[in-house]
Amino acid sequence: MAGTGKNEETKTLAEEADSLWLITFAGSIWAVHFLVCYCATAVICAKLGGDAAAILMLRLALGGVTLVALAGIAFVGWRSWLQWDFLDDGDYVHNLARKEDRHEFLGHASFLLSIISFIGVIYVSLPVLFLETCQ
Amino acid sequence: MRGRALRFSPVALLLLAGCTGTQSALDPAGKDASVLADLFWVLLIGATVLWLAVNGLFFYVTRIEPRSLSRRLAETLVIGGGIVFPFFLLSGLLAYALSIMPDQRLEGTGVQIRVTGEQWWWRVEYIPEPGAEPIVAANEIRLPVDHRTEIKLGADKFIHSFWIPALAGKMDMFPGRETRLAVEPTKVGVYRGQCAEFCGEAHALMAFQAVVMEQDEFAAWLEKERQDAVMPASDLARQGEAIFLEEGCGACHTVRGTEARGPAGPDLTHVGSRLSLGAAVLPSDREAFADWVRHTKRIKPGVKMPPYVHLSDEKLSALSAYLEGLK
Repeated sequence: MAGTGKNEETKTLAEEADSLWLITFAGSIWAVHFLVCYCATAVICAKLGGDAAAILMLRLALGGVTLVALAGIAFVGWRSWLQWDFLDDGDYVHNLARKEDRHEFLGHASFLLSIISFIGVIYVSLPVLFLETCQ
Repeated sequence: MRGRALRFSPVALLLLAGCTGTQSALDPAGKDASVLADLFWVLLIGATVLWLAVNGLFFYVTRIEPRSLSRRLAETLVIGGGIVFPFFLLSGLLAYALSIMPDQRLEGTGVQIRVTGEQWWWRVEYIPEPGAEPIVAANEIRLPVDHRTEIKLGADKFIHSFWIPALAGKMDMFPGRETRLAVEPTKVGVYRGQCAEFCGEAHALMAFQAVVMEQDEFAAWLEKERQDAVMPASDLARQGEAIFLEEGCGACHTVRGTEARGPAGPDLTHVGSRLSLGAAVLPSDREAFADWVRHTKRIKPGVKMPPYVHLSDEKLSALSAYLEGLK
């Protein structure tokens, strides 16, 4: 009996550890996307600023990176939505010291972070759409 | 209520008066400045709508409907007013702001101008065509109307920023690095430019005038600017020229056509034809020339030119007559 309790506890801790990782993913994708855009643009503009073909390639590549980032954030958002489990119980508040509340709170927070990260990635990418030169 | 409005109207008029004039981004006289002024108004309207929406919602839930809202309405207000509406509004404003940038970066053609930020004045060189000998001037920029002119920017020792608010946006100037800007004035007139990056103790006194001329007048002016200095026209001015050379002014200043070939200070070949003196801190007249030569440090703290306090009134008068005559 004691062994079963210990297994249950281990499983719970493992799930919560996963949830903790989940909460970092969307923001991390946003940060990495920003760094890739910033660094790639800085290097290409410094080395090949006058080369229209190189800039077109850069814009296409950053467009691709943006789509991957948005897909990644959407996936994290979907996983978070499932973990929040809102449609099941309609819980907005998760303030009890029990496993379900901790689990759903992390899903809820992660879902909101996914929304802000999604918007952040779109805003970081908009210049790629409009700016055709390094000037 | 009406009385209060009347009392405030002079204040409002005074504030609005600040939006016009020769150094106002809201009173544009150039294509780029006009687009930037539109951008300002669009962003202001967008920000006002967003402010009214957010504070209107706050007012609604605290004063008009302070009771508990239904969950559905609360969710609509929070998600709609807090996420969806600001997202679309801010996205629209950002996209609009980004969409105007490519045209702001278009290159100019024809005569190119190179401006260098010095301590604390502007070295101005007109390059009629690539590879041609530059025509050197200072502290005033002349531009042809309805023509896009390319301006290359640099700096001697400190970072400055070049800005003629009525004509275009601003651009920083760095030592050892060239930046660029193009301006396309649409109205003939005199506008004021100002260093827009704090650069030292005389930063606020580092200004210049931008004179927008008809295209044929600009061409004629540039041809005249290319010529050497005119010979002094009076005895007093001839005495002034002698004093200018005796006092060693030529070690720092150039007056083309004379022995004065100093490169450190502003070129004075046609200084008398400029609209202002000392980087737009004094008018361009004989009295101002005398004042400047005798009190450089007092008029512009930190300026490199020493004050010539030892010059007698007679000598100063002759020197001023000479400088004023350099049309």
